Amino acid sequence: MQSSKENPGQDGAPHSAGSLITPRSDFIAAFGWIAFGIVVAIDSWKMDRLQNQDVPPYAVPGLLPFFLGLAIVFFGTLMLARAWRQGALAKGAIQTAGMSMAERKRFLIVLSLCLTFAIVLVGYGLPFWLAAAIFVSATIFVLQYPQRHAANQVVRGIALSILIGLCTGFGVTLLFQELFLVRLP
Amino acid sequence: MLDGLVSLGHAYLALLLSPTSLALGLAGALTGILVGCMPGLSATLCISLLTTLTVKLPANDAILILVCSYVGTLYGGSRSAILLNIPGTAANAASCADGHALALRGEAGRAIGIATSGAFCGTFFGVVCLAAFTPTLAKVALSFGAQEFFWLALFGVTMSGTLVGNDPIKGWLMGAFGLFVAQIGQEGIYAYDRFTFGLPALSGGIALIPALIGAFGFAEVLTRLADPMERKLVEMRDSIRPRFREVAQHWRTVLRSGAIGVLTGLMPGVGEDSGAWMSYAAAKATTKEPELFGKGSIDGLMAAETGDMSSIPGHMIPMLALGVPGSAPSAVLMAAIIIHGIQPGPMMMVEHPQFAYDMVAMTTLATVCILIFGLYLVRPLLYVLRVKHSVLMPIIFVMSVVGSYATAWRLFDVYSMLAVGVGAFFLRRRGYQMAPFVLGLVLGNLLDKSLRRGLVLTDGSMIPFFTRPICTGFALVTIFTMLLYVPAFNRVVHRFADTVINPLKSLVTRRG
Repeated sequence: MQSSKENPGQDGAPHSAGSLITPRSDFIAAFGWIAFGIVVAIDSWKMDRLQNQDVPPYAVPGLLPFFLGLAIVFFGTLMLARAWRQGALAKGAIQTAGMSMAERKRFLIVLSLCLTFAIVLVGYGLPFWLAAAIFVSATIFVLQYPQRHAANQVVRGIALSILIGLCTGFGVTLLFQELFLVRLP
Repeated sequence: MLDGLVSLGHAYLALLLSPTSLALGLAGALTGILVGCMPGLSATLCISLLTTLTVKLPANDAILILVCSYVGTLYGGSRSAILLNIPGTAANAASCADGHALALRGEAGRAIGIATSGAFCGTFFGVVCLAAFTPTLAKVALSFGAQEFFWLALFGVTMSGTLVGNDPIKGWLMGAFGLFVAQIGQEGIYAYDRFTFGLPALSGGIALIPALIGAFGFAEVLTRLADPMERKLVEMRDSIRPRFREVAQHWRTVLRSGAIGVLTGLMPGVGEDSGAWMSYAAAKATTKEPELFGKGSIDGLMAAETGDMSSIPGHMIPMLALGVPGSAPSAVLMAAIIIHGIQPGPMMMVEHPQFAYDMVAMTTLATVCILIFGLYLVRPLLYVLRVKHSVLMPIIFVMSVVGSYATAWRLFDVYSMLAVGVGAFFLRRRGYQMAPFVLGLVLGNLLDKSLRRGLVLTDGSMIPFFTRPICTGFALVTIFTMLLYVPAFNRVVHRFADTVINPLKSLVTRRG
């Protein structure tokens, strides 16, 4: 976690050129929050009032969620107003930098690997230690491939990642299942 | 009072005379220090994963491991703050500037020695306060009704949103969002399904531990692996010794930071990093050499570490006495205590009176452990800091999947963890903090039940929510905190501070 302290903007919202937090991004996000808050409030209002159980109106299940929906709409509106005052819609307003190509590529690779392990491999017949070993080995190899390729150590990289993967698979199973009797997926 | 001392004596004896307990405590502290050393792995994640690991152990043994790992993680974070200039946990951010500056001029060992000694003294100060205040606060809380608990929960979420991060609006949005997520599933009064969309899996709601693992574990895995930068480790050239002479020289800083840490810990929703930063700011305001702060100030490093560590027992006080956690790690600790059959809150001192004193003894053991490991395990811990993210993060993710599944044996919890993790990844990049979300998730049910029960008791009237004495206090602070964000009100308050408070402050502040 970073310890950087950005300079706060006029109303205390931090933003800087080229960063992910800009008045424009806050402006767009505010619409999302307001829409979400409205949906929550409407859904809460339409909830069963349990009148057949003689529940008084101030004890209905939708009471707090309704107010939470309104609160989210309120704070979203505050954020919208603040972003507008900070020039979100002005010409030349600071654009959100977003992820770089390399970062986006790595993120998608990592996300795909993690989702494949957690949704496809786990809980559908494969022993957990094997699923974990495959995931860890594949992830380490894929992430370290550029450096290994540049250093001409691809085979060494494959061997090490398989070793670490197998150690992880066996180690986690031994620790959780055998030692601490925790059921694994 | 005598009963309390006797119970405390029993707790210490039970711990000291049990080699198994001592070994478990040492193992928990060591695990915590190892996790805390590694940037990106938080105390919340460590305690969440250990909760599932220890779910089959007897209650006291399990909680002992968790308490020792909690203390160990926050202490371990100072190691990477000093050597890598990256805080191991958010609470160690205040130690980065001065700790790393000392390391860069060849005094890394001295910095680590000061951090260790300060952490020991801070935690010990907090332990004394934990023993003294928990029973008293629990006794006061016995008079709390539904209205008081409503405001306490709202106060906690509001304070968390205000003080965590740079943007209160985003903090309050995350708090409200966390409160909303807590409403999903079968509500606690009439067993009515809310926001389940006909899915049976959602009737049980979004479980706390998988959500925390997602927000603090999976999100961190995605963040660390998307950014491949690895920082250079500063070499250690000097030795590490206990720096108690320097603690004695800076005794005012230690005492003040200890008190600030405990006080910030008492406030629900305010994390350990607030204790560290407030102690640092207070030390800078009262020192004779403020220009040294950020450039290797012993006072600054001591204040940060003492304030950070003393807030740990501080967070445990409201968690045990009121059932309202002071921070995200204490929220997980509370969930673990509940899993083991003990309900924190005012009734805990009636149903399990010995438990509060057992927690004091456990925290004392953790304090001693960080001193031992901190001073004598320095070189081996350096190897931990060298582990690459590409190796560590996939292993963390595997344990996150196990941790999410193991509490209730539902694959749905694993999917919740994934969803929360991906959401947290994008939200954090846009400046939204996870701590208010966590507090909202933990306090959502309490807020809901307290509001509806309170209204039933008053026949729908909101007036007692504002006129009962304790409610009035909480309501005023909560509303004042939110109004401070209104520019016109803020100007009035600053004018008042300039006219009345600052002259008083200059009378008591000493400068050379």
